[in-house]
Amino acid sequence: MKALWPIFRHFLKYRTRLLAGLVSIPLAQAADVAITVSIGNAIERARTATDTAWLTKVLWWLALYAVVRAVFRFYQRWWIVVVSRQVEVDLKQQTFDKLTSLSFDFHNQNRTGDVVSRLTSDVENVRMFLGPGLMYTAGAVVMVPISLGVMFHLNAMVTSAMVVPLLGVGWVMKKLTPRIHHYSMEVQESLADISHCAQENFAGVRVVQAAGIEAPQARRFAAVSEKNRDNQIKMGEARGMTHAAVNLAFDLTFVVILITGGLAAIDRTLEIGGLFKFLDLTIKVFWPLIALGWIAGMYARAVASAERLQELMAEVPSIQTPENARFSEPVRGAIDFDGISFRYGPEAPFVLQDIRVKVPAGKTLGVVGPTGAGKSTLLSLVGRLFDADGTVRVDDIPLRDWDLDHLRTSLGYVPQDSFLFSAPYEDNIRFGADGELSDEQIHTLVRRAAMEEEVRSFPDGYKQRVGERGVTLSGGQRQRTCIARALAKDPRILILDDCLSAVDTETEKTLLKELRQAGESRTVLVAAHRLSSVVAADQILVLDENGHQADLGTHAELVARPGWYRETWQRQQRRAHLLEDRV
Amino acid sequence: MSGYVEDKEYVASRAWDHRLFQRLLQYARPHWKLFLASFGVLIACFACELAGPYIWRAAIDGPVSTALAAAPDADKSPLVHAMLRWIGLYLGVVCALGVLRYFQVAVLNRTGQVVIHDLRTQIFAHIQRLDLAFFDRRPVGSLVTRVTTDIENLAELFASGVVTLAFDTLRVAVLVVLLFFIHAKLALVVLLLLPVLVGISLAFRGGARQAHRSVRARLSAMNGYLQEVLSGVRVVQMFHREDRVSKTFAEHLHGYYLANKRTIFLFALFFPAMTLGTFLIEGAALKVGVESLVGGGLTAGDFILFWMFLVMVVNPIRELGERYNVLQSAFASAERIFHVLDTESAVQIAPGSAPPAAQGRRSTPPHITFEGVRFAYETGNEVLHGIDFEIPPGHTVALVGATGSGKSTLINLLLRFYDVTGGTIRLDGRDLRELPLDAVRSRFGLVLQENFLFAGTVRENLIMDRPGIGEDDLREALATSSADRLIDRLPGGLDAWVAERGVTFSTGERQLLAIARALAAHPSVVILDEATASVDSETEAKIEAATQSLLEGRSALVVAHRLSTIQRADQILVLDRGRIIERGTHSELLEQGGAYARLYELQFALPV
Repeated sequence: MKALWPIFRHFLKYRTRLLAGLVSIPLAQAADVAITVSIGNAIERARTATDTAWLTKVLWWLALYAVVRAVFRFYQRWWIVVVSRQVEVDLKQQTFDKLTSLSFDFHNQNRTGDVVSRLTSDVENVRMFLGPGLMYTAGAVVMVPISLGVMFHLNAMVTSAMVVPLLGVGWVMKKLTPRIHHYSMEVQESLADISHCAQENFAGVRVVQAAGIEAPQARRFAAVSEKNRDNQIKMGEARGMTHAAVNLAFDLTFVVILITGGLAAIDRTLEIGGLFKFLDLTIKVFWPLIALGWIAGMYARAVASAERLQELMAEVPSIQTPENARFSEPVRGAIDFDGISFRYGPEAPFVLQDIRVKVPAGKTLGVVGPTGAGKSTLLSLVGRLFDADGTVRVDDIPLRDWDLDHLRTSLGYVPQDSFLFSAPYEDNIRFGADGELSDEQIHTLVRRAAMEEEVRSFPDGYKQRVGERGVTLSGGQRQRTCIARALAKDPRILILDDCLSAVDTETEKTLLKELRQAGESRTVLVAAHRLSSVVAADQILVLDENGHQADLGTHAELVARPGWYRETWQRQQRRAHLLEDRV
Repeated sequence: MSGYVEDKEYVASRAWDHRLFQRLLQYARPHWKLFLASFGVLIACFACELAGPYIWRAAIDGPVSTALAAAPDADKSPLVHAMLRWIGLYLGVVCALGVLRYFQVAVLNRTGQVVIHDLRTQIFAHIQRLDLAFFDRRPVGSLVTRVTTDIENLAELFASGVVTLAFDTLRVAVLVVLLFFIHAKLALVVLLLLPVLVGISLAFRGGARQAHRSVRARLSAMNGYLQEVLSGVRVVQMFHREDRVSKTFAEHLHGYYLANKRTIFLFALFFPAMTLGTFLIEGAALKVGVESLVGGGLTAGDFILFWMFLVMVVNPIRELGERYNVLQSAFASAERIFHVLDTESAVQIAPGSAPPAAQGRRSTPPHITFEGVRFAYETGNEVLHGIDFEIPPGHTVALVGATGSGKSTLINLLLRFYDVTGGTIRLDGRDLRELPLDAVRSRFGLVLQENFLFAGTVRENLIMDRPGIGEDDLREALATSSADRLIDRLPGGLDAWVAERGVTFSTGERQLLAIARALAAHPSVVILDEATASVDSETEAKIEAATQSLLEGRSALVVAHRLSTIQRADQILVLDRGRIIERGTHSELLEQGGAYARLYELQFALPV
């Protein structure tokens, strides 16, 4: 319960509506019971009465009760459930903001898909329990004493006996719920298997057809589907048990009423109208009680979810702006890697070891080396995505002392994976700019990234949604778009993380020229596989596969001496991608 | 691409489509026994449900009324005995009902599951054999939906939809008839007022479906955005755009909230409206009932029986709207499923096609001829305009040219993923279309740019269920492609697990594995689409060597990117917008000084 409390506080923000909803419940329930009592009385009176003049008045009262019941039933649901949705909005916004604030180490440990599904189901679990769950609980809490009170007043013996089947159903449900839960997990898993198997075969249909393995694959699929079928059947059986048990308890309550009530009636301690009241009130009180059982089942899950949400909210970004943060104004962009070592965890191997490079403001540093040499990592350090051992200084201020907002505002970043949003094309460029951009400015940026012609050819031009069916950008197009986005910021420091790998050599040359012109006054860090990207850099840092600083110099110096750089340069010259795709 | 098939929730306009239903019945037919059992259980259940209220009437009008009418001091033991008999009977009925209810759920569910399993495997096998043009026009996700969500919807149709709806109708009809037997005037009142409830229920279902759909759409948009932001969180932080994405997310949330609010409103309105409608019937019944009780013609037991039946009539009607929606979405799914099942593969084996001259592995390569080959993915948009060339046995033909020049299309045509729209492709003089598909494909080894790995072990991925590939073939293939060292490094070696789509392997490693996979089957013709993505130099060297051994002694059609491959080709075809503009060997073409030479210049004579 302790875990739920902080979340319940969100509900209190909407306490007026919540209170109104909670007050509606007893009013609706009281009207409901009044209807049963009135009808029961009418039956009893009809058995002995000789005229029906009194009936009209009874009917008017009943109509009033019915309207009251309907109105308050509407409001109880409307107020309480809407509040629960409002709380859902608050919780999701809060977690979203938390997630975007958390540092790389968190996102490295948690897979995106897991975080999303966890967030969705956790918030839903908590909302269901505190929203509709609360409503049904309050309903049952009010209904049970009123109904039982009325029934006790009629006949205490009958009422006490009725409790027996109810206890039975509680016991059966407690036994069966884990079983249903188990099978439903199995069903979900086998459904996921079906989906995976189909996904794989349809996505890899060329391979399947070319190898002529349709039949064995179909058999494989049939086996997966069979497993799902069998699980579904088992789950159906478990559901059948619960369904039967709950209804049996309900029917047995009627049996109990017939035994005790019938015998009481023969004893003349209960009348036929009273019997009717018992029957009707049982119907009205039974289902809320069953619902209460389900809600009790939800409780454990809600608490676990709330705990996870609390845990997430308690996460502190490992990288934050320190107190008394410093920054330089204006940012010049001199970078100093002073003895940098880094690894992704205390057990992990080092990806960077003792790197010492100074990049004067306005100069270009190329970073090269084999796959896994730590090129991307080194570049990410400048934006302080994570902290390394040693000191990185920008404008002679250690990064740990920098005001993060200020630092990142002066950075332009082109990521290796060319991440873009599935939003209109121009919005992706706008994302880069600190202020608003005019259409003219966007066109200029796109032209500088050598993308203009292609954007114009999109069916919707600049308004084309990225990633929408039909128009998927090629790797090279994505990379050039990311460059335009980074340029939109007009940053003092530009970080290019192997962002020309899918661009053909001709375009690469144009782009590099463009970037160099644009970058005349800014510092540029460029990591690359293809050495042609770094040929013109003022300095080239060569990393070896263990993240050591293997060499440092200009292109001319590096090709002049034996080593990884010269070897690779020669090999790449030999190989090249002849007549490669103009991406 | 135009002609892309939208995967909207195109909903069948009707909740009942007789033609579709007839077709669905065919799938139910083999399981008629199960269906019969379902109906049997439902009818037995219903009979027991009806019996209960009758016992109540008998008890009330019998022993209870007699006792109430009798003198207070009369002997009550015969009445108690009579009462106990009714109680015993009631207990029996209730217990039987308990057992039957279990079977009702279990059997109905089993019926649905058994039927859809058949359908699911059938549709999977069908989709798998369709031509590539079909896959080009549809996102994989939507095809997966056919064998998951759509099929699940059909399960609902078989399990609860048709049977329950038919049965509910029957129930209501039987109950109304029984009400008439109890008291005609009372029954008439109910019958006249029932349409009010039906009206409310049906009016609600339209709104509810729309509201639910909009909630689903908003939710998936919101989750999509969340997922996207998280996967690009580095970029968000580097650009310092946390506030901006937060605002966009808030907009998504607000849209989702509004859609939810509408659903809540509808539900909040529906339940009270239903009870109010029910009250209308109850009130009228009470008026008529009390008048008849007072005036005679109705006993107290009759009235209670009537009241219990009333509840039984109202419940199915309350759920009518819900069932209607299930039915409608099930028919929409059925329509989508049958639409796929009715799609014939465009690549068909000609009737009377003869088996090929030489079959299978280690055979001599066929003589391949392209004669005036034309092709259009969609009519009026031809991408190949009359391609002529030959691949004599053992020769390598390299294709070069820019994206969209038609290189990949040529490969796809040779594998018969599509059929030519003009001209002919011949193997040893026989039209490709006259040869059995699998016999043709079994002679080809295929290595693509994006080399697809399946979830499973490395061994499974190399053998891929192809018959006749033994351990020796595998070892040999791995050695020749120098992928053996890669395998040695894996924990578990050949039995190491490949994660979904092979994400655990780098691009270069995947290429090596694909070459090994092709080698293992000893194809006589190799079809190779060289990858352009950059890999590190060491892997590059390995791939280069593996490619050489793959091509050796075989016929090959190669989309070439590597200089070494091109230089060794027996013939180079330079493609430009669907035409061959130059052909010859590397040195011949360089000498010609044409397009090839210019391109070569541009790539390799890079001024540094």
